[in-house]
Amino acid sequence: MAGATQTELVSRDTSGTDAVAAVAVAISALLFGLSIVALADLVPITGSVAGVPTVSLLGTLLVLLGGTVMAFGVGSRLEAVSTTPDTTAGLVAGVAAGGLWLVVGSGIGSLLIGGLGAAVLGVLVGAVAFAATVLPREDLGSTVPIGAFPVLTGLVFLTGTLGPEWVFDLGWEQGASLTAAFVIPVATLFSAMVAGWAAAKAYGGFGARGRHLGAYTLVYLNALSIVAFLFVLVAFTVVKGVPGLLTGAQFGPGVGPSTTLGLFGVELSVRLPFSVPFVMNGVALLNDYQGVLPAIVGTVWLVVGAVLFAVPLGVGAAVFLTEYAERGRFTQAVEVATNGLWSTPSIVFGLFGFAFLVPRFGNGKSLLSGMITLGFMLLPLVLITSREAMLSVPDEYRDASAALGVNRWQTVRSVVLPAALPGVVTGVILGVGRIAGETAPILLTMAGGTFVPGGQTVDVIGGFEFTASPPFVANPELLQATSALPYQLFALITAGVGLGENVANADEFRWATALVLLVVVLSFYAIGIATRYYFRRKLRYE
Amino acid sequence: MTTDTERVASGVRGALRRRVRQGRDFVDETEPAALAAVVVAVASMAATVVGFLLVSSLTVLPFMVAVAAIGYGWIRHQDVTARVVTLMMTVSTILILALIIVFIFMESIPVIAYESATVFGVSVPGLRMFIEPRWDAVSEPVRYSMVPMIHGTVMVTAIATAVAAPLGVAAALFLSEIAPPMVREAVKPGVEILAGIPSIVYGFIGFTVLSPWASTQFDLNGQGTYLFVGIVVGLMALPTVVSVAEDALSSVPESMKSGSLAIGTTDWQTMTSITLPAAFSGVSAAVLLGVGRAIGETMAATVMLRGVPRLTDPLYNVFYGQETLTSIIARNYGDADGLQMDALFVAGVILFVTVLVISIGSQYIEWRMSRKFGGEI
Repeated sequence: MAGATQTELVSRDTSGTDAVAAVAVAISALLFGLSIVALADLVPITGSVAGVPTVSLLGTLLVLLGGTVMAFGVGSRLEAVSTTPDTTAGLVAGVAAGGLWLVVGSGIGSLLIGGLGAAVLGVLVGAVAFAATVLPREDLGSTVPIGAFPVLTGLVFLTGTLGPEWVFDLGWEQGASLTAAFVIPVATLFSAMVAGWAAAKAYGGFGARGRHLGAYTLVYLNALSIVAFLFVLVAFTVVKGVPGLLTGAQFGPGVGPSTTLGLFGVELSVRLPFSVPFVMNGVALLNDYQGVLPAIVGTVWLVVGAVLFAVPLGVGAAVFLTEYAERGRFTQAVEVATNGLWSTPSIVFGLFGFAFLVPRFGNGKSLLSGMITLGFMLLPLVLITSREAMLSVPDEYRDASAALGVNRWQTVRSVVLPAALPGVVTGVILGVGRIAGETAPILLTMAGGTFVPGGQTVDVIGGFEFTASPPFVANPELLQATSALPYQLFALITAGVGLGENVANADEFRWATALVLLVVVLSFYAIGIATRYYFRRKLRYE
Repeated sequence: MTTDTERVASGVRGALRRRVRQGRDFVDETEPAALAAVVVAVASMAATVVGFLLVSSLTVLPFMVAVAAIGYGWIRHQDVTARVVTLMMTVSTILILALIIVFIFMESIPVIAYESATVFGVSVPGLRMFIEPRWDAVSEPVRYSMVPMIHGTVMVTAIATAVAAPLGVAAALFLSEIAPPMVREAVKPGVEILAGIPSIVYGFIGFTVLSPWASTQFDLNGQGTYLFVGIVVGLMALPTVVSVAEDALSSVPESMKSGSLAIGTTDWQTMTSITLPAAFSGVSAAVLLGVGRAIGETMAATVMLRGVPRLTDPLYNVFYGQETLTSIIARNYGDADGLQMDALFVAGVILFVTVLVISIGSQYIEWRMSRKFGGEI
């Protein structure tokens, strides 16, 4: 953003009244956090925090918060606080307050009257709130209707009207009820958000600057929540998955299985210094510890096959579109087709593979069908990113090469492709990360049973053989159904509570599978993003 | 009217003539040997495609001829060969889309014929799938109605959009306009990684954590709600909305923003009255693409929903999640055959057509936007 730095002229000194608004913002932040932990049942609604019942604590804080916001607004209207309000709070604030009170009004209405009366009451209350926001001066309009909401919620909590045992049956055919354990945290969450917004506006002294601060508070909160959500998601999977992953794992010299390295005819047998059965075993009756090795190998081969299919096609098409074709109907049609392919749902690719590829490759689910189906999915991603990378190669490069008297293809091969390589590589890696986690397409084209024994781990390279009849080359390994990590997880979920006698702790096994899948996919992303940073830094320094 | 058609006809004729002339020039300029190699390569490749379509085991013969011709051309006449090979690769993208359309439509024809309904004495194929809410593949009368699944998809998509659109646009504003460079460098990969988490992992967490939790919170019978499937799918569609909307916002010329700031507005005023309105079409294209992602999301819905294809009661009951267009395919492909399998293809056709229309619509919007700012960037 241009000139986003704030100069000293713009930011004012903090005064006592500002501190009041800042305290209100702090209370709403506290309430926001409390309501999240209450939703996650970390702080039970029926219990207490530091000797105070949770509901009373929330109620007190809400009344305090709403009271502060309203008092600040009234104080500003009475000129006790120096602010710079506009004549009206504006339609956005009006719609926010009106919508909020419409929900409150119809909620109360359905508790007391029910039916049409609830809707009428809701609309009425909402309209009053809208008017109360839009009509008075901004300092009153943006604080009183919004501050009244936490006060009301807080009072409802404090008086016990909505206690920890509260339940409201919605009275539907398929029964569902609203319970205190859900309504109390959610009401607190919304109160904290709107009151925090109003308090931030007040802190900025209303007017343009106040609205700026209010909006920034919400936008920052949103960005923070997304990052926090990502972090919690990954951390949760790691914490749940590590015990299963490390079941029976041993570290130290000479504990692992031996591998043979062959180099220049000298064969060296090494015992790995670690043994993690979960990623080194299949599933078999006699195994001490069960594992998902066949699924990991299946995923690797899937990715290799899809890349071998899609990357040459995608890059070649991108070369033609950027270097040879003139812009016209044809290129437009290709663009529409590419974007259409990009947004086609993955399950439709699965259906297509089932109808088109499966009958053509041995009439059964096979690794090869899975590879090509995923290749179809990867193709538009490769094409779009390669094309962008080639378009960003400056025309001077091409002109300079052409001036040397070489033909078009030599220019492409020795100038355009090397210059576009970083973009292409990054795009391919990110695309691979995406398809490595796909379940739906391989469900219909490739996936076999829930558990694959370690002995059936696919061995594509060793599977090639030549035959006398067309098509002369056969590879039974490519034509058999196998497993992949995402499918393995899906099969484990649908298999139900127990996984039979093979797997002792089904839950740990599932979480460990999810963790391995997450690690595989996210490492593709990490490599892709790191590559991009590396090339970008390099380009910047040149 | 007639003049219009005549003009179009003459335009087409002109374009055709240009193509023919280009083709003749190409033939004239190219050496005969190169031309022969290229022609053989194209013809045998076409034969390969046809052979593959006809499930012939002899497909490998024309394929080997094509490889040989391309190999010869590559060694002797690289420029021409490269051009033709890349052209064939480009055509393949259109071919794949066309094949998808043909095959999923073809597979769904029998059930469309089966589900005909008579309206005003006219038999309309497939209509009964959209007017009766009964899906039952086992007991008589066997019916394959799409209504419950369309209802489910609409519910999930509506909730997902309500989550993804505001949060996504706010995050895009944050990334493109508000965040300091350091913060942006940290948040942007985070959003990308969010897009990378496999849908089955989202579904697994939703299945093991969210569904039981929701079941006790709302006193439900059993597990699976449209509400939480919608929220999870919304979070999955979020990165799409963020990245496309961010592109749109940062394509607004800097001069427009600076002009606004120069007359003394705050950053936020500039955003709401200049940047957002200017990028409005791009931002709505982002939301549309997010909707497309949400419609097509399969695994999270399959794992978290109940798998009973019927309508909820009442229709707006978000606390019960039955089945969506995507999840019915993923759940039933295994034991389906005959008409039921074809019915799954009908679900696929509905998904494909809806998402394709959304994709083309958002491309049109983006194209208009790039034309608008075309001269200024």
